[in-house]
Amino acid sequence: MNYRFDWSVLWKGQSGEWLWLGLITTLGLSALAWLLAVLLGILSGALRTVPFRPLRALATAYVEFFRNVPLLVWMFFWYFGVPPFLPQGLQDWLFDHGLEFWAGVTALGVYSGARFSEVLRSGIQSIPRTQFEASVASGLSTFQAYRYVILPVALRLIIPPATNESLNLLKNSSVALTISVAELTFQTRQIETYTAKAIEALTAGTVIYLVLCVSLASVMGWVERRVAIPGLIAGGRRPRRGRG
Amino acid sequence: MIEGLDVIWRNLPFLMIQGFLGFGKFVGGTVRLAIPSIVLGFILGIFIGIGRLAPRWWIRLPATLYVEFFRGVPLVMVIFWMWFIIPIVLRTGIPEFGVALTAFVIFEAAYLGEIVRAGIQSVARGQVEAATAVGLSGAQSMRYVVLPQALKNMIPSLVTQFIVLFKDTSLASIIGFMDLTKAAQVVNNREVRPFALYSFIAVVYWICAYSMSRYARHLEKRLSPTSS
Amino acid sequence: MKKLIALTLALALVIGGVAPALAETTLEKIARTETLTIGTRTGSPPFAYVNAKNEWVGFSIDLVEQLVLPAISQKIGKPIKLEKKESTPPTRIPLLTSNAVDLIAGTMTDTRARRDSVDFSITFFVTGAQFLVKKGSPIKGIKNIDGKRIAAQQGSTNARIIREKAPKAQLREFPDQPAAFQALLQGQVDAYTNDGIQLVGLKLKAPNPAQWEVVGDFYSYEPYGMAMRRNEADFRNLVNNGLMDGIESGKYFEIYDKWFGPKGELPYPMTAAVRQFMIYQVVPK
Repeated sequence: MNYRFDWSVLWKGQSGEWLWLGLITTLGLSALAWLLAVLLGILSGALRTVPFRPLRALATAYVEFFRNVPLLVWMFFWYFGVPPFLPQGLQDWLFDHGLEFWAGVTALGVYSGARFSEVLRSGIQSIPRTQFEASVASGLSTFQAYRYVILPVALRLIIPPATNESLNLLKNSSVALTISVAELTFQTRQIETYTAKAIEALTAGTVIYLVLCVSLASVMGWVERRVAIPGLIAGGRRPRRGRG
Repeated sequence: MIEGLDVIWRNLPFLMIQGFLGFGKFVGGTVRLAIPSIVLGFILGIFIGIGRLAPRWWIRLPATLYVEFFRGVPLVMVIFWMWFIIPIVLRTGIPEFGVALTAFVIFEAAYLGEIVRAGIQSVARGQVEAATAVGLSGAQSMRYVVLPQALKNMIPSLVTQFIVLFKDTSLASIIGFMDLTKAAQVVNNREVRPFALYSFIAVVYWICAYSMSRYARHLEKRLSPTSS
Repeated sequence: MKKLIALTLALALVIGGVAPALAETTLEKIARTETLTIGTRTGSPPFAYVNAKNEWVGFSIDLVEQLVLPAISQKIGKPIKLEKKESTPPTRIPLLTSNAVDLIAGTMTDTRARRDSVDFSITFFVTGAQFLVKKGSPIKGIKNIDGKRIAAQQGSTNARIIREKAPKAQLREFPDQPAAFQALLQGQVDAYTNDGIQLVGLKLKAPNPAQWEVVGDFYSYEPYGMAMRRNEADFRNLVNNGLMDGIESGKYFEIYDKWFGPKGELPYPMTAAVRQFMIYQVVPK
């Protein structure tokens, strides 16, 4: 095989520094996008179940619009398509302050928000309607019913599929390399272009992603146990884990 | 705006016939990649899914490792891996189609395997017991009793996963596979009309994915009264 | 934790298992598959790009088709097909070393560092790195790009030189030229750096060529060569012979004229010095 292994390229020279920078960028990008996605997801997921048509329609439009187009296309959209429509001053400021990073956060966050929304919606819908009716019968407004009864239960129910979507978000952050965000996969390629050692570079990147994902899944598992309401076993089937 | 539409009109054959369908001088095609990927991925996924439920640990462990591994890495990374490893293993280059197909099949099989597993587990235990009581072996009861019912339960999830895969084909453009996204980039490189071109392909993807998801919901409604 | 160890072990096993493979020379492989696979660009006019008729053409591609391929066919004794694959700066060398392609024929600069990983043919084009900017931009060359946003392609020599010589510049690396150029067109970056000839080509194909200009002295000398796997003297001689025969017979200059002549895609007259250099590369038979 015309391939000479040389694992030392991973710590000689700038490789270690690049991997570290890539890791930080991936984590930063993912964390910010996650916050945005959770916000949008809870908002639109809840709105899709309220007994008020225009809000339901709006939330559904958001989900269907963003969910059905590939993330890569959204990346190009937010980075190339949107800035020309912003006021010049804001454009210039963005160009100077890492537009590609913020475009990446927005694309990833808005896209993932649509997916979180679906997860939350099924969670809410798996709660027996009687809970809602009982809350309203006890005098709570719709908003209060959601805030104090429905959402707390729903949010706990959806931890497994939400963990899944969070992992997807972390992995999808790699798509940002197409708009020059120097995240982890970008840095793996960078090491490879300077050292021509593809297998070593790819292995380093892969191991880091695996560690991140396993850690995140463990943390979420711990969170799930920590916030579990004693005696609350989901009334229906366990939510299926998938990449929906 | 008009020039934008004009650019799309002039390049429509290239975008749709080469990029979307895959017939032309370049190795490409969103649909040409998506369909074999889901079929082969599903076949592999059945083995993985059943393997995850096998009583023997030396089948169960590799299957579980497989699923956990591919669910822990980005698809972009898997595509790059295949891009470099395949030529080394086969000792020759292969078209991007082969690289992309392998990457997608291997990657999606992990997720499809989970859907298969959930589908099998959703078949009532009583069915398996009845099958054994009637005299069928483990493999026979799987093949004639459990799987057919499991498959029916899985169909909505499978369609959903196909939608995901369909969108993911856009990532093949990163290695030069001439799919719809790459075709748009190539045209854009010459015409420089990103908003028009990316809007157009967004609409194409949207129409396909949305129709498929409506179909999935329709299936879900039709099949739910009969699921166990 | 246990899962992680198991996963890493599995990964290590897979990689280890891939190790041995028998060594076949490039010529043997070409003879066996009856195909010469080249890695080339799709967005670098006029060297290798997709034209308005959506055909994959270019100067580098022509050189291979008309000068190199016949030489190989003649040596092997049967007609050889040409297959093209896309390669970009980050992927060029890996594509070669992994046997996915046999020859890189695009816009690859011959450098000493790269000769540690690949071998090069004789030089088939000479240019240097410059900047593409909006007309009237304050950027005039590598001396005044500190603090400015500069786009480059990930893995190119230009990116590396900017990192070394102008560390205060804000470098933005994209996977390929279309994305980088788009960033320049829309203002996300102040300049795009690449080899001068490619910038001229891009400028001419922009919607408004008059708005853009190529500035700066060559901050690097970029001789383009065709890259191939190391230690394949037979294959390399064949490629070089093909090119040298083309220069000697004049065919090379015809192809040059087709793309860079006054009626070509991108008028870029060959200086007397460069012409002399090309002729001197032809060693006697």
